[in-house]
Amino acid sequence: MPDLLTILTNLAWPVAICIAWLAGEFGKRWTGLPRISFYGIVGFALGATQIGVLPPTGAGPVLVLADVAFGLILFELGYRINLRWLRTNPWFGMAALVEALGTFAAVYLVANAFGTTTMTALMLASLAMSTSPATVVRIVNEQRSSGQVTERVLHLSAINCVLAVFTFNIIVGFWIFRSSDDIGDATLSSLVALLMSATLGALFGVIVPALLRHLGNLSKDATVGFALAVILLVSITYTTQMSPVVATLAFGLTARHRRVAFSQAQRNFGALGELLTVLLFVYAASTLDWEQIVAGGMLALAVVFVRLLTKTLGVTAFSHLSGISWRKGALTGLALAPVSVFVILLLEHARLRGIDVSEELRSMAAVTMLLEVFGPIIIQRALVWANETTEA
Amino acid sequence: MPLEPFAESKALTFGVELELQLVSLSDFDLTAASPDLLHLLARKPFPGNVTPEIAESMIEINSSVHSSHLPLLAQLLEIRDTLVSAADQLNIGLCGGGTHPFQHWSEQKIFPKQRFQELSSLYGYLAKQFTVFGQHVHIGCASGDDAMFLLHSLNRYIPHFIALSASSPFVQGHDSLFDSARLNSVFAFPMSGRAPFTLTWDDFANVYFAKMEGTGIIKSMKDFYWDIRPKPEYGTIELRVCDTPLTVERAAALAGYLQALCRHLLERNEEPPVEDDYLVYNFNRFQACRFGLDGAITHPKTYETMSLREDILTTLRKMERHGEALGSLGALRHLSTAAQEASDATYLRRQYEDQGSAEGMVNAAIRRFRGQK
Repeated sequence: MPDLLTILTNLAWPVAICIAWLAGEFGKRWTGLPRISFYGIVGFALGATQIGVLPPTGAGPVLVLADVAFGLILFELGYRINLRWLRTNPWFGMAALVEALGTFAAVYLVANAFGTTTMTALMLASLAMSTSPATVVRIVNEQRSSGQVTERVLHLSAINCVLAVFTFNIIVGFWIFRSSDDIGDATLSSLVALLMSATLGALFGVIVPALLRHLGNLSKDATVGFALAVILLVSITYTTQMSPVVATLAFGLTARHRRVAFSQAQRNFGALGELLTVLLFVYAASTLDWEQIVAGGMLALAVVFVRLLTKTLGVTAFSHLSGISWRKGALTGLALAPVSVFVILLLEHARLRGIDVSEELRSMAAVTMLLEVFGPIIIQRALVWANETTEA
Repeated sequence: MPLEPFAESKALTFGVELELQLVSLSDFDLTAASPDLLHLLARKPFPGNVTPEIAESMIEINSSVHSSHLPLLAQLLEIRDTLVSAADQLNIGLCGGGTHPFQHWSEQKIFPKQRFQELSSLYGYLAKQFTVFGQHVHIGCASGDDAMFLLHSLNRYIPHFIALSASSPFVQGHDSLFDSARLNSVFAFPMSGRAPFTLTWDDFANVYFAKMEGTGIIKSMKDFYWDIRPKPEYGTIELRVCDTPLTVERAAALAGYLQALCRHLLERNEEPPVEDDYLVYNFNRFQACRFGLDGAITHPKTYETMSLREDILTTLRKMERHGEALGSLGALRHLSTAAQEASDATYLRRQYEDQGSAEGMVNAAIRRFRGQK
């Protein structure tokens, strides 16, 4: 008979997910706040370094599942991106660049002012550029929102992610070699890895829709077909050390332009997506360590604040030129607040590749924790204030 | 409040209103984009007029008053180009078509305006199910009596306009087998159908309307959803059976055809309308909705059964004399080609087959509205 500890350990994840789900449902009902905020709180509370219900994280089935969950979300995001828009409305593309690069510069300066090393400041800055697609897509679907703020946040979040993955890989490459001679190499290898990931995703985007179309009866089978393809794609990027983020995003993007049915009922990948979302957010928060969060302290608060400011200013500055009101521009910038899941998975993968930057990025842990809880609330408020949500 | 007097307007002037779909370019579903689009459009002068509709995923445009087809067409093209360029800036798709093929009524958002909110609470899901898109054509009438005469004389031609504009074959994700499924949604409203048979404005306003107002059911002409209704404040009658066509060219041509027909009817060479004409009205209307140009209608006077397509082509030929006088021969030719080839409904069904999905069909409708092949 297995001993009690083993039984309890085996039960840890299912129990944690159930608790998180209940907290999400009741929390949403009582407070009207987004479910994922509660998933984050539960995940963090039950994490190994806190109450300790959940085992310490590492490579394993849970990380794979979290990656698949994130992959599904990125595929959906990619499917909603219209690249042509950046051409028909160049001011919007400009806003994306200014907002992201402005955030990079501002966070770098703030981190420097707090006396961190250049390397840490650079890493912080690149991660701060990102906006977590998981939170964005999740809240947009939960609120059934549509309109310019919604549309723009989705596009900006995709752009931000690609920029963040790209710069982060360069900086990590640079950090490993620790010499400025290698910055060219690091840039090149980061670029090559991104291109390879994008190509692989695009390949899926061509083959899978063609296959589904060949099978016929698209509206019924598309969800399962795409879900399986995402799982396969994530696994391939795992073994080949490519970027699952870029690959799944490119998959969605290409599939979208192949115009294959993906009907409303399959938003969030239905029940499968719902389930994996709980796991994803619990997992992400459970990787955080409260000691690091406390150590992050003031720098974290400063980063959160500066990031919010630059993103809001960057987008607002171009709102009139890109065809929306100042108010909607500001709300779009505000809605770019979420950061957590994306950053956590990025760092977790870096750690698995032997690049443990968690000491350097203590303050990032605090930033992610803050935004794991408040990010969803901020974007939810922004969408409500923009009158883009559907009344219940 | 008694019905206002029938305003004078120049006979046979006309104008067009079009309800258009706002579509997300991500999933090709309807999207609540009208507040953003109206905000952007408000920055520059707009040719004609643009207004919100009950659902935020709809927008209505209307032309100015015109007296012939070509200037109307030119203005509609200008309106279209203005709309398309604004929509491009906001990543919104614009298209015609009487229904959106797979929108879900429960997802629609009601535009924040008092009348719309009131309608929404009165009609409940009907108001949201009413997310359908029609073309209205106004024809100027010299007097209220002329208006009532034209309104009833047109009864026999209503199926023509239904079949020529039909562009709503799909509803809630399925082929309804109707060419114009939109009119079925309109029929659900208690005050829909045809106007009562009164041939003078006095009878209509001071007897019928006064009685209806007395019942408390009706407050204004806006509460009637008839196929054709008088619009006393403009001095027009308003034809409301058309689906919004996939192109503005078709919309202008339909208006040109109606204008020519009215000119013909006002010569009063045809047998005058009688109440019994309406015996076949609903059946003919159904034939046009269900089978489009392939329908068979029964003549209200002779009870002869005839092919709707043939009847349209014959009438179009008969109208050429008026088309020449009004400068709208182009409109008649456009419709004659359309009647011989394929209606918008047929085009949409073909796209569904070719593209393999309803999303692909919506995308084709967006391209067609922009004037691309």
